[in-house]
Amino acid sequence: MIKSIEKQRNIIDFTLSSLWRRKGKNLALLVVYTLVVFSLGSVMFFTQALKNEAAIILRGAPEIIVQKLVAGRHELIPMASAQTIRAIRGVEAVKDRLWGYYYDPIGRANYTLMVPEGMDLKENEIIVGAGISRVRQVFRGNALLLRTYDGRPISLFIKGILSPESELLSSDLILISATGFRRLFGVSGDDATDLTVTVLNKKEISTIAAKIVDKLPDARAITRDEILRTYDAVFDWRAGIMIAILAGAVLAFLIFAWDKAAGLSGEERREIGILKAIGWETADILQMKFWEGTIVSLSSFFLGVILAYFHIFYASATLFEPVLKGWSILYPEFRLTPFISGYQIAILFFFTVIPYTVATIIPAWRAATIDPDVIMRT
Amino acid sequence: MIELQNIRKVFNEGLSSEYIALHDLTLAIAAHQVTVLKGPSGSGKTTLLSILGCMARPTAGRIVLAGREITSLPERFLTDIRRQTFGFIFQHYNLLKGISVIENVMLPAYPQGEPFSLLKKQAADLLKLFNLTHKAAAKVEWLSGGEAQRTAIARALVNQPEVIIADEPTAHLDTRLSREFMDIMRDFKAQGKTILIASHDPIVHESEVVDRVVQMRDGRIIDAGVI
Repeated sequence: MIKSIEKQRNIIDFTLSSLWRRKGKNLALLVVYTLVVFSLGSVMFFTQALKNEAAIILRGAPEIIVQKLVAGRHELIPMASAQTIRAIRGVEAVKDRLWGYYYDPIGRANYTLMVPEGMDLKENEIIVGAGISRVRQVFRGNALLLRTYDGRPISLFIKGILSPESELLSSDLILISATGFRRLFGVSGDDATDLTVTVLNKKEISTIAAKIVDKLPDARAITRDEILRTYDAVFDWRAGIMIAILAGAVLAFLIFAWDKAAGLSGEERREIGILKAIGWETADILQMKFWEGTIVSLSSFFLGVILAYFHIFYASATLFEPVLKGWSILYPEFRLTPFISGYQIAILFFFTVIPYTVATIIPAWRAATIDPDVIMRT
Repeated sequence: MIELQNIRKVFNEGLSSEYIALHDLTLAIAAHQVTVLKGPSGSGKTTLLSILGCMARPTAGRIVLAGREITSLPERFLTDIRRQTFGFIFQHYNLLKGISVIENVMLPAYPQGEPFSLLKKQAADLLKLFNLTHKAAAKVEWLSGGEAQRTAIARALVNQPEVIIADEPTAHLDTRLSREFMDIMRDFKAQGKTILIASHDPIVHESEVVDRVVQMRDGRIIDAGVI
């Protein structure tokens, strides 16, 4: 047992020494390999983190949202519709919501304005997301100057900054009082942006949604599950596009890796012959090649994963931002909450480390099964 | 110590390029002696050395090493015998470039599973024996011809083999270094090692250290020499 461990240590020692001998080739391979893992890892981390953020947000979302439609577009809904919905059996509560978007030419960003439930805000008080605070350089106690729907300036005092726990939606968020909201956008006291419905029996959500649409033919009822599915589809679609773009890079890497790993040079073949001639078994040579492949691929894998982690969660996915975000509400810079799943890491590992390791062993096996006496003739 | 019985070696058997390198050779090599295989290029010396050193299998015939028939052993066992019984000195030394002299000397011992520190000490002792201590950390490509040869000899000895096999060891050496090589062989013989050399260099086969000269031509033994 100890002899076998010592043997592996000796073989690894020689492998490291061999890798260092061909440092130019191996460093080039390490860089390209790391870049591929980094790119794929970044896409995976980003997509999963966005989905995760969406799930965090939707956990607190209403079971059904009812919106009025005019010519297929979302319109303000009369608050009287709440009465019609309340009359449906199984509905626990109906609440009106006020929210909207505001384009700020100074910050060159769209802000989301929302009237929070159960928060005591005066007419000229607001709470802003961390992204807005960054973009406009405004902090607690400062005033934020906006323009009302008819062009008049309005000064709103910042009562607080939202915590960055889930920046996906809170980054560009402004929480405002109902009166302040109506004054800013000119929304009458009889209307709301939409209505939220809570249901007594969670299994009945889809039935009640159908009943709402039946009673209010000009409205749509969106369930929480539908929103979650939409988020997943949109993020998966974006990740798919990104991976399709990266496929070329991955293919180039595979060809490069195959060439570097599989195509043993004449010098390497000669070395394998020498090792066999001086008493190394075929198995020893395969172990050496296995360690060689493992050292290169694992180093690249960990390096790539760590770089991707920092890229996504600390550098705000700077390189992929234009493709992967692309939501108008996300203009303010935001940082994602770090999130990694073991499943993703396993997939990344399977598609990068395993093929390379196999690619290094097969040609070595072919070379190692030749008779060692060939070396006597060179 | 080593007996070859009706050894035949054919390359590319069954193809149009078929070539018979050895024709039914029978030869017994005595232990603790210096035996030289002498003959022109293409006479089969290197092929015979490869078979004697368990590097290649004969197409037909039997090899008996210290009373044990080894011809049909699987590759693993044959490698084990090769590693523990034989030390090889190749014509072109076959040192691995890019690694140090001491690492080259240690190489054959890596699969033995001895602790690294012990291997290093054994290799250092051998380098000291051959006045190469100052070159231990140097890369082999920086060595002179004589130093490279002594490194190759040190490598052949690291597993303390009973038999030293050298293929045309003086082919690339001048007269002084060739004589130096034979002096080293004398020391090995005095230590009780069995030495097999393939060479057509008179400095080798005319040396007084040699006990027996086996003459070969066209894959056959034409003079088995005196045992």
